[in-house]
Amino acid sequence: MKKVRKISPLSAIIFICSLFWLMPLLLIFINSFKPYNDMLQKFLALPESWSLNMYLETWTRFKFPMLIGNTLLYTVCTVLIVALLAPMAAYKLARTKGKLSGVCFVLIIMPMMVPFQSYMITLTRLVAKLGLTGNRAGYILVSAGLCMPLAVYMIHGFVKNVPIELEECACIDGAGKVRTYFNIVLPLLKPILTTVIVLDTLATWNDIITNQLIIGGNAEAMNIQNALYMQFSAQTADWEHALPGIVMSMIPSLVFFIFMQKHIVGGVTAGAVKG
Amino acid sequence: MKAKNKGKAKEILIFALFVFPAVAFVLFSTDVPFLMNLYYSVFEWNGISKDMKFVGLQNFVNIFTKDALFWKSAVFTLKFSVFFVIIVNILSLTVALVMSKEKKSSSVGRAFYYIPYIISLTAISLIWKFILGPGFESLYKVTGWEFFNWSWLGTGKLAFFVVVFMTVWQNLGFYMVNYIAGIIAVPKELIEAAKIDGARKFQVLRKITIPMIMPAISICMLTSLTFAFKLFDVIMVFTKGGPANSTISVAYNIYKEAFVNNRYGMATAKSLVFVVFVLIITVIQIKVTKSKEVEA
Repeated sequence: MKKVRKISPLSAIIFICSLFWLMPLLLIFINSFKPYNDMLQKFLALPESWSLNMYLETWTRFKFPMLIGNTLLYTVCTVLIVALLAPMAAYKLARTKGKLSGVCFVLIIMPMMVPFQSYMITLTRLVAKLGLTGNRAGYILVSAGLCMPLAVYMIHGFVKNVPIELEECACIDGAGKVRTYFNIVLPLLKPILTTVIVLDTLATWNDIITNQLIIGGNAEAMNIQNALYMQFSAQTADWEHALPGIVMSMIPSLVFFIFMQKHIVGGVTAGAVKG
Repeated sequence: MKAKNKGKAKEILIFALFVFPAVAFVLFSTDVPFLMNLYYSVFEWNGISKDMKFVGLQNFVNIFTKDALFWKSAVFTLKFSVFFVIIVNILSLTVALVMSKEKKSSSVGRAFYYIPYIISLTAISLIWKFILGPGFESLYKVTGWEFFNWSWLGTGKLAFFVVVFMTVWQNLGFYMVNYIAGIIAVPKELIEAAKIDGARKFQVLRKITIPMIMPAISICMLTSLTFAFKLFDVIMVFTKGGPANSTISVAYNIYKEAFVNNRYGMATAKSLVFVVFVLIITVIQIKVTKSKEVEA
């Protein structure tokens, strides 16, 4: 008996579509090497030469090292703050009963229920009042604050399933509360912490609206997305520089995706359960 | 007694040390701004000048009686939500059903569908602007097909279609992953048993797979609906609500009211109305999908 693998037409279509799904990215990539005239004449063709001239020009003219530096700084700081503070708060809130604990939890969780757009106006106002507009530190504070609710919520749910006995053992052995947390509890939270870090890294790297609201017109402190938007979104876009810029802005995300693929998919699924 | 008090004080100190920093961050960036909304919403104010005129509930009355653009944006948001939720869920579920078969080829396919989701909205918007602009222009010259010569971002109906298409293209992978997680969790025995009983593929899908993945379906419906309701970045970066306000979403309308028209008081009032809208939709949605889950 010969086993014949049947592929349904639907499966075939979906597999073929997956190849076409990345067509837009591929088109941007091949066109990023062409002079503008060739984009208009031979949109689908491969470039005549794979010269990196336009990339180099975009790199220096639009101050890419500074932009990437800013974005990296924002992402690292935001993720560090969230990864340090969110598990501490989530752990203590999950383990403490009482009014104060309840109130703190509600304060942290509340923002998850209201859309960002409904308080962004007054947030901008508040930041301006404190003199933090256009300020790197100001942006990091806000960005960490925006990532905090979901992070605390997810870790809080996770802590509930961590057995309390280990902590009691540590306590009997004479470890203080702080030491118990860092030596015993934190390592146990690693899976959910990875998820949180992945989600917040992508969110901060790709953020545009918060950066725009807080950084305002300060070109020195813009992140890469905001700068791309400011420089290239006009009607008569300078595509010769815009395309290399787009490609360079995407490379870090793609590399991150390749290395973290498993965690990204897991992280997104876990993050979706926020209701 | 004294020792006990001391222990209690220490416990509170540790609680504060652990919890208050996170609370401070959230207070600063969301809770306090949200409460400030309540305050500003009863004033007529341009956001800069010192004199704020107290108008009571007048802002809210104006929203409901005078603001035609707000209602236009509400209609757009509703229309967009219907299209987006239906299209993205049907497509991603279909893709997930095929991609959930554990084969090497499908893991590559999954990645392909997923990649647009991790790219920033700025890049995505610029990419589509380029394709619909110079790209289509070039294709029109080569093929002569009128299709490529349509004014995709210049006419209301087409721009609406482009926004739906682009958001579906970007987000499909995300919903696909959620559905795959649900499908993989369906016990294999159930499906085998049904097959032995003579069920066809479609029957298995309808009677077993779909009911078993109801939780995934409700999560995806909920997230896609809230995504659609809060549609903002896409509009800001991509169409700016144009042409002629045909793609203006509620969230973008609020943003414009504050930062373009400089009517802070009015904008904060609108954002409170918006919060109520989103909450109502969320509650209804949860009720509906929960009831479906019980039936299944």
